[in-house]
Amino acid sequence: MAAAPQRISVEFQPLGRRADVAAGTTILAAARSVGVGLASACGGQGTCGSCRVRVAEGEVTPLSDAERSRLTAAEIARRDRLACQAAPRADVRIEIPPESLTTTQRLQLEGRALEVELDPAVAAFEVSITPPALDDLRADVTRLRDGLEGIDGLAVKRPRIGLAVLAELPPCLRAEDWSVRVAIHRPASEVVAVRPSGSPLLGLAVDLGTTKLAAYLVDLDTGRTVGRAGAMNPQISYGEDVLRRIAHANAGPAESGALREDVAGAVALLAGELCGEIDTDPSAIVDCVFVGNTAMHHLFAGLPVRQLGEAPYVAVVSDPLDLRAADLGLTFAAGARAYLPPLIAGYVGADHVAMLLATGAAERTGTVLALDVGTNTEISLAHDGRLWSCSTASGPAFEGAHITDGMRAAPGAIERVHYRDGGFLVQTVADRPAVGICGSGILDAVAEALRAGIIDTRGTLSHSHPLVTGHNGRAACVLVPAARTGHRRDIVFTRSDVSEIQLAKGAIRAGTALLLEAAGIDAAQLDEIIVAGAFGTYLDVRSAIRIGLLPDLSEDRFRQVGNAAGAGACQLLISRERRRLAVELAGRAQYLELTTHPAFEQHFIAAMGF
Amino acid sequence: MGTLEQLRDAIVEGQAADAVAEMKRGLDEDIPVQTLLDDGLMVAMHRVGQLFEEGEIYVPEMLVSSHAMTAALEVLRPSIVEQGVRSSGRVAIGTVKGDLHDIGKNLVAMMLQGSGFEIDDLGADVYPERFVQAIRDGAEVIGMSALLTTTMTNMREVVEAIGDAGLRDRVAIVVGGAPITQVYADEIGADGYARDASKAVRLVQEVLGRLKATDGRGATTH
Repeated sequence: MAAAPQRISVEFQPLGRRADVAAGTTILAAARSVGVGLASACGGQGTCGSCRVRVAEGEVTPLSDAERSRLTAAEIARRDRLACQAAPRADVRIEIPPESLTTTQRLQLEGRALEVELDPAVAAFEVSITPPALDDLRADVTRLRDGLEGIDGLAVKRPRIGLAVLAELPPCLRAEDWSVRVAIHRPASEVVAVRPSGSPLLGLAVDLGTTKLAAYLVDLDTGRTVGRAGAMNPQISYGEDVLRRIAHANAGPAESGALREDVAGAVALLAGELCGEIDTDPSAIVDCVFVGNTAMHHLFAGLPVRQLGEAPYVAVVSDPLDLRAADLGLTFAAGARAYLPPLIAGYVGADHVAMLLATGAAERTGTVLALDVGTNTEISLAHDGRLWSCSTASGPAFEGAHITDGMRAAPGAIERVHYRDGGFLVQTVADRPAVGICGSGILDAVAEALRAGIIDTRGTLSHSHPLVTGHNGRAACVLVPAARTGHRRDIVFTRSDVSEIQLAKGAIRAGTALLLEAAGIDAAQLDEIIVAGAFGTYLDVRSAIRIGLLPDLSEDRFRQVGNAAGAGACQLLISRERRRLAVELAGRAQYLELTTHPAFEQHFIAAMGF
Repeated sequence: MGTLEQLRDAIVEGQAADAVAEMKRGLDEDIPVQTLLDDGLMVAMHRVGQLFEEGEIYVPEMLVSSHAMTAALEVLRPSIVEQGVRSSGRVAIGTVKGDLHDIGKNLVAMMLQGSGFEIDDLGADVYPERFVQAIRDGAEVIGMSALLTTTMTNMREVVEAIGDAGLRDRVAIVVGGAPITQVYADEIGADGYARDASKAVRLVQEVLGRLKATDGRGATTH
């Protein structure tokens, strides 16, 4: 009897796309089979080197001669390969560097936010200093301090000056003819930079997402955001979720150090890119704010994470960290500062605090529910001056993972689905031919299938519906037939995909229900429901209500706010009052642990049907 | 339609209130406890397992069905205790130290219960010593669960603690949970791994069979 042909799974990161191919298929062919746009200028001859990828995990065929000539020793050492030459021998995970991708992913950068009054922690003061003379031998620093004495609004007496700033001081004073701009971090009463008179003063706000980094360059003189840039979080190569990264960091100081340095390096690149766009360089950055979930926060600050991976999942510190950027390995202005806002719990981080700040969720009167949907969904409920928060394990389904044809929101991803006249109409990211489904698309697909009677209230597919066919021996509903997809294969969703959505929405609804229960109120009493994050912005509220992910309230009560964590980080750069409020909010929040909550499982089960 | 059939349908359909009502009716009609267990609950849960394996139902339905079964079983429990009905075996099950996630573990426990096993549910965040104690209390199978990459490593400690207590031969150890693989189970010296609750039932039956066979051989050589 002939052995069944061996199938190999090829996972492409950072897209999160998977291909199932026969042994002997090259990585390039595998990528094309699932619509992953991998550059290949020479058409797979192994001569151009443009399809360079990294083998993160798994075994592939030995190096070809073409690869030996195209790749450097360093590239070979870090397992770089040419996708057109190498073929997986077993299940593999492949990382595609940005330059090898033909199209870039959509990154969520915008966030609608409240206006705040400009009052940054680091403020700048123009100072004219008397030059030294034979009858005036005061040291440069004494001279600078004396110059600062007469300044209105400085409010700090004789600020400290660190060694790094001291080293820059004499050449700067002399080059600028003794008229300079002195940037002072007012909370610490410290000079962070001495810059040429009239030069801009910049702040950097970064949302350290598990998947993506979003950076904002802010002019601290005007409070305006002057640049935005995004990048994938390079830590993805150590695992897609925070727990894998915690496990990696637990292996030792070299491993945790690498995780820290990777993010610091990516932040430095983003800062350089953003400063370059306005013809300056990162030495103009005098203050930074970093927000992220608690694990990202700890890894970035170089704090131990082991205790975050084990019950009761406690943080090292929940107070804000007011540091020097140099402590984080960042080379900006000589004494540049870095602020990491307070956090609520091990799984409700500073990014959630920043989101609450940006949306004003916990400040307005009335009852507000605010959700940030991701692999972990953080939810807060503000009612009657009180604030409750929880985190619920919703899984990666809404990010396109664990879904048969799932992918992230990259070009060709189905992001909207509508059922009409017996068929599905789809809309894709960048209007490219469909190659997969992203979170908002799978949400729509399930909601529309439910409306069309293709799935029942338990989530079972109706075998009698003409769009339901067999797919690898299991029932599947065809969303886009092969003839109209970018890779000439059907795009489907299966009962298993519906099940993933049920588990995700069950977890989110159970979390919501327990917060409402803690506050002693009913969903109907919610004045506003704020949905943040990339998925939260693109999801169709009606679909989310139809499948029971969000409470059934009139649409005008919902507000979708984009990357509110990034917007909150920008506020923290330009307002000392917002920093004070962040501490107040985080201190006021009552954290509800769901995993041990006696009623969680009942709510979860109850919320799983449609 | 007879009471037993309606009881089975209520469980398969995940209707907890109906399952409870049918179980009460069965007791009122003097259907023997063993029959309610074997032909009611166990047949229903076997059917649920089958539908799951066939891809007809998924974890959400299996959870709902298991809860309906548990609700019906609670109605029957006093009679089971009163009549001293024998179980298929005693399984102590828990989520390992450092991990508070127990929905998956609870599902496995319910599926095992629905197959006639007696369950000693140790809960979540269970320390190795507690698993060891459960063996002393009569458990023949230890089931361990972990959802987190960071806590799965604590399974090894349990296997070692059982070995150190000199109880390894008396018990079969099975493991499961999202990050667990057969390779990992082999590496830590567990007797088996199952990827879902339905396979877990068959695995427990299998390892318990092996354990008893070994015991039998042990007895003849003495």
